Amino acid sequence: MWTRVRSWLDERLPLADVIETLRHKTVPHHRYSIWYYFGGVTLFLFAMQVGTGALLLLYYRPSASEAYESVQFIMARVPFGWLIRSIHAWSANLMVASAFAHLFSVLFLHAYRRPRELTWVSGVLLLLLTLAFGFTGYLLPWNEVSFFATRVGTDIVASVPILGEGLVRFMRGGNDVTGATLTRLFGFHVAILPAIATALVGLHLLLVQRHGMSLPPSIERRAADDPATVRAMPFLPHFILRDVFAWTAVLTLLAGLSTFYPWELGAKADAFAPAPAGIRPEWYFLWAFETLKHVPSTVGGINGELLAVAAMGAGAAGALLLPFLAGHTPRTRRLVLWIGVGALAFMTAMTGWALAGVAP
Amino acid sequence: MRNCSALAGVLLAFTLLPRGVQAQASMDAATAAFQDDVHAAAGVTCAACHNTRTGSGGAYEAPPRSAIAPLCATCHSDPAYMRRFDPQVRVDQYLQYQTSTHGKRMAGGEARVATCTDCHGAHGVTRVADPRAPVAPLNVPTTCGRCHGDAARMAPFGRNPTPSTDWSASVHASALLKRGDTSAPTCASCHGSHGATPPGIASVANVCARCHVREAELFRASPKQAIFDAIGQAECLVCHNNHRIEPPADAWVGLEEGAVCAPCHDQTANGAQTIRDIRQELGRLSAALSEADALLTRAERTGMLVDDGRTALREAREHQVQSRVLVHAFAAAPFAERAAAGVASARRAHEAGQAALQELQVRRRGLAVATLLVLAFLVTLGLKIRRLPGNY
Repeated sequence: MWTRVRSWLDERLPLADVIETLRHKTVPHHRYSIWYYFGGVTLFLFAMQVGTGALLLLYYRPSASEAYESVQFIMARVPFGWLIRSIHAWSANLMVASAFAHLFSVLFLHAYRRPRELTWVSGVLLLLLTLAFGFTGYLLPWNEVSFFATRVGTDIVASVPILGEGLVRFMRGGNDVTGATLTRLFGFHVAILPAIATALVGLHLLLVQRHGMSLPPSIERRAADDPATVRAMPFLPHFILRDVFAWTAVLTLLAGLSTFYPWELGAKADAFAPAPAGIRPEWYFLWAFETLKHVPSTVGGINGELLAVAAMGAGAAGALLLPFLAGHTPRTRRLVLWIGVGALAFMTAMTGWALAGVAP
Repeated sequence: MRNCSALAGVLLAFTLLPRGVQAQASMDAATAAFQDDVHAAAGVTCAACHNTRTGSGGAYEAPPRSAIAPLCATCHSDPAYMRRFDPQVRVDQYLQYQTSTHGKRMAGGEARVATCTDCHGAHGVTRVADPRAPVAPLNVPTTCGRCHGDAARMAPFGRNPTPSTDWSASVHASALLKRGDTSAPTCASCHGSHGATPPGIASVANVCARCHVREAELFRASPKQAIFDAIGQAECLVCHNNHRIEPPADAWVGLEEGAVCAPCHDQTANGAQTIRDIRQELGRLSAALSEADALLTRAERTGMLVDDGRTALREAREHQVQSRVLVHAFAAAPFAERAAAGVASARRAHEAGQAALQELQVRRRGLAVATLLVLAFLVTLGLKIRRLPGNY
């Protein structure tokens, strides 16, 4: 039976070629190999997001009058609705963490070098898209915290010169955060961003397949002296089974988090109520939030918030174009390494400061 | 301390100044305050209220205290004049004042009692709706308390001061000061403002009934009305006090010491069993509410959604409020029915909490089973990986 199905498929699809290619594909095996798995974990979490998001769509209603109640219904009435929503929320957070770990590991191992420039660029764009998914999804339950955090978050965009006001109106679908904002962000979250993300993930994977895994410069030098010192692990079944192991462990972690710490819903948003104390964005935006809090109102006669937003924009642009900006000498690699360490330390310190500030 | 010394210095310097200089300084202060006065905005000038002091070089003299109210009334009791500023403005303040204790004593020659300027101010008069006004709801207790809380000022009239802490400890103060509910009663709400006078025994119930309508209806339909009338008791005050009206507690109903029924009813009195029954039901309802609330809070802390339970608990609280109101009927029947409905709602809330905690246990057991299966899978996978050729 299986043989007949296989031959039927072989006749129509290049399955045998794909399997043959994968059989011959290898992955370098060295002391930094563990970092290769974060890409797979991020992809697994993206798949979880798509699956659980599709299930949530069956019941979710994107309007100010029904969004909160529909999430409440999902949590309280739909069989395993609580589990699906909690996994969606937790895996979104783990995905951001895993994407950051993947990005910094690629940065520190200098895997952005020729010929993997486009792999890096597509990866940075995917991280920015992941953050956009987080921002657009945060408002969807229409609860108090997300409502005011979105108001603060969209306000920041207003500091962009000339375009700021227009951008805020575009994001909010009006002058303030309303039901129109919810509907708009929902559209981005479930249609526009997934379409772009799917295309970029496809490109990213294709490029990874095309160029294979990068060797860190130190291992590369050793391999140049003596190729036998760097071993290659078969992709099938060695690497893929390890990937499955990591994905299963992450799935277990997700189930545990969702059971013991179900994602809270909080109180329904009320546009006329005063903003509650302790309003803050998701943890991955905290560093930016805290930075903006401490920037002086004017620096050298220029709006401080504008300067901070411009610096963050320049940082993101620099990260995106890193392979084209960084040289290939050991000295520039060291510089990139220290800039990366500095950025990571700054983001960690600011996040820690923000968390300490809101601790009871 | 340094500020106090500085102030004392300024005051001393002021008193040592020649009288003409003092008068000039006082006039300057009045002029400055008048800039923000509602009368200044309406085009009223100093000469409208003040005569020029003879031989003072143009300085104005203050009107005698007994002349202040009639002076204000020349405009404020003139409907044709006042209509120019506000077509709905009231013009009966002076008439009311004449019926008040303040007004009667003033007419009798006692100038130390309150007149218009004591409450409204003289040169910085603002509208009542202005939160800075001494007669704005939030400021009324302080304004009245300046005299009525001062033992030295009250002594010549043979009256005891009303400690400001009495009203401050009341449910009414709590509603006004903590919740910012400006409809909460202050001194003027019960005593009147321009016609301020202590409400007599016969009218206290009417004063309270303006807000506590249902309680008053129940009381008037109860046998207690006739008894209180016969013995000359001021209805509401007997149990609730006057200024220090504390939040009612279930323990007020009972025959034990501290209960408000106890001074008149002992264990053998008529109606003792009704009192015991009401107290028992109130206690049962409170206990059911606390128990359900604690259980729902426990479930919520574990992340469970218990909205059904919270809705039932809100219903139970509503029944509790209504059953406490029904105590004023002084009969077991209507009260017991409402209290039983409250207990039933609290029970539903409790069941919702229990169901949530049971659901949590089911989830945790499910997770434990799934985790065991996943761990078995991971161990198998690990063994399989180890057995793969190549020793990676």
